[in-house]
Amino acid sequence: MAVLPSHFLGFPRSDGRVGVRNYLVVVSAVALVNRWAELIAASLPDARAIAGEFMRGLRKPDAARQARVCEALATHPNVGACLVLCHDAASARLWREYLADCGRPHAVLALMEQNGMEAAIQAGQRALAQLDEMRRSVARQRSPFSALTLALECGGSDPTSALIANPAIGRVVDAVIDAGGSAIVSETVEFVGAEAPVRALCRSPRVAKDLLAAIAAAEQRMEEDGERYRGVNPTAENIEAGLTTLVEKSMGAVAKVGSRSFAGLLEFGEKPATPGLYLMDTPFFSPCSITGMIAAGAQLTLFGMGVFNPSGNPLAPTVKVCGNPMTVARWNDAIDADLSDVLAGGATLDQAAQRLGAFLVETVEGRETRAERWREGQFIVPKTLTPL
Amino acid sequence: MTPQERIHVVVDPRDNVTTVLDQGTGLDRLQGGLEVALGVPFGHKVALRPIARGEPVIKYGVAIGRATHDIASGAHVHVHNCA
Repeated sequence: MAVLPSHFLGFPRSDGRVGVRNYLVVVSAVALVNRWAELIAASLPDARAIAGEFMRGLRKPDAARQARVCEALATHPNVGACLVLCHDAASARLWREYLADCGRPHAVLALMEQNGMEAAIQAGQRALAQLDEMRRSVARQRSPFSALTLALECGGSDPTSALIANPAIGRVVDAVIDAGGSAIVSETVEFVGAEAPVRALCRSPRVAKDLLAAIAAAEQRMEEDGERYRGVNPTAENIEAGLTTLVEKSMGAVAKVGSRSFAGLLEFGEKPATPGLYLMDTPFFSPCSITGMIAAGAQLTLFGMGVFNPSGNPLAPTVKVCGNPMTVARWNDAIDADLSDVLAGGATLDQAAQRLGAFLVETVEGRETRAERWREGQFIVPKTLTPL
Repeated sequence: MTPQERIHVVVDPRDNVTTVLDQGTGLDRLQGGLEVALGVPFGHKVALRPIARGEPVIKYGVAIGRATHDIASGAHVHVHNCA
């Protein structure tokens, strides 16, 4: 298991949460002003545009989810200061009310209150420059690991991710949970086949009922689209590769949750009420599932991969973890934690997990991840109904 | 480590199988000294101790299946003796 120090240096926020970054962000509250946000953010190298495909005309549950996510992103613990851009004055008023108690430098502008694009861009850039000055007065302070929430993700899976990257992540997750912190895993459909181990990992029968119902519903949706998973997995190719049972195959991804118990099921973007390990019910496309976990307040993503996957998120560092030496050689400038020496017999899984734990500590204290360097990632909020 | 021993990974301390991570199918020892059957391919499992018929096969710290035959320590564990 990985060992964590007693504290890390983070940015304390007035709501009790702690940032691992102090990002300057320009939030586009509706896609109509995405371009405005990009042009304003381009004026400062540190600024990040948070421009999703936030739309009008969504049906009620989708509109509520989108609004929750957008608000959560603007006040994410990694945000040091935010400029929120709206289209109309009424929305801007609502945003000003929402942000009044956010405890961080912020400003809200409505495009309809500007006079031409040139002036609108200049107004935004002036506001952003002021916010940039203000956010710099915040310093890192000793913070407990109980303030940390990890997002857990995997993609480009191969035997090395199942045997090295994901189990190493699981050991780090155990250490964070033991320190009183939290971790969120998502992509419900990936848990199909691992129901028995998941049940055994649940803190109570009620938690097990919630998780298993979500997994069964995801399998049901897959079957409605004519895709069968149970009965055809492991495939002949999987069996040739050494996978014997469906549980074994599914555990390759589930291994990244570690060995502590699940505290509950979360909806997309829902913040955990108490610390612990959670399953968030999300689609499996990683830019979408990561959006949900970041909206819930996760400050950092641990991403296990076999072949390369360019996922990330503009609001949280993503640590790319890889145990495949060929992938590491080809994507050396885009992978953070190289655990491929396990495959060469040069390190045990425990030693690799120790190294990953040390890397996590360096990253929460400011070490730039490759995904940050390449500005990888985007925001995708799922919709369940046809918009009006 | 010597090249005479096979590289392998025990994913969880509770496991009763390990997974070999090399192509050394001609070697008869695992790193750590356990005797291993010849010919187990990359990514396949080996019993770390005898597993009686009906006992769970444990990998990732969970039962991934049950032994359908008695499995000797060092034997290849796969669809022929686990389901």
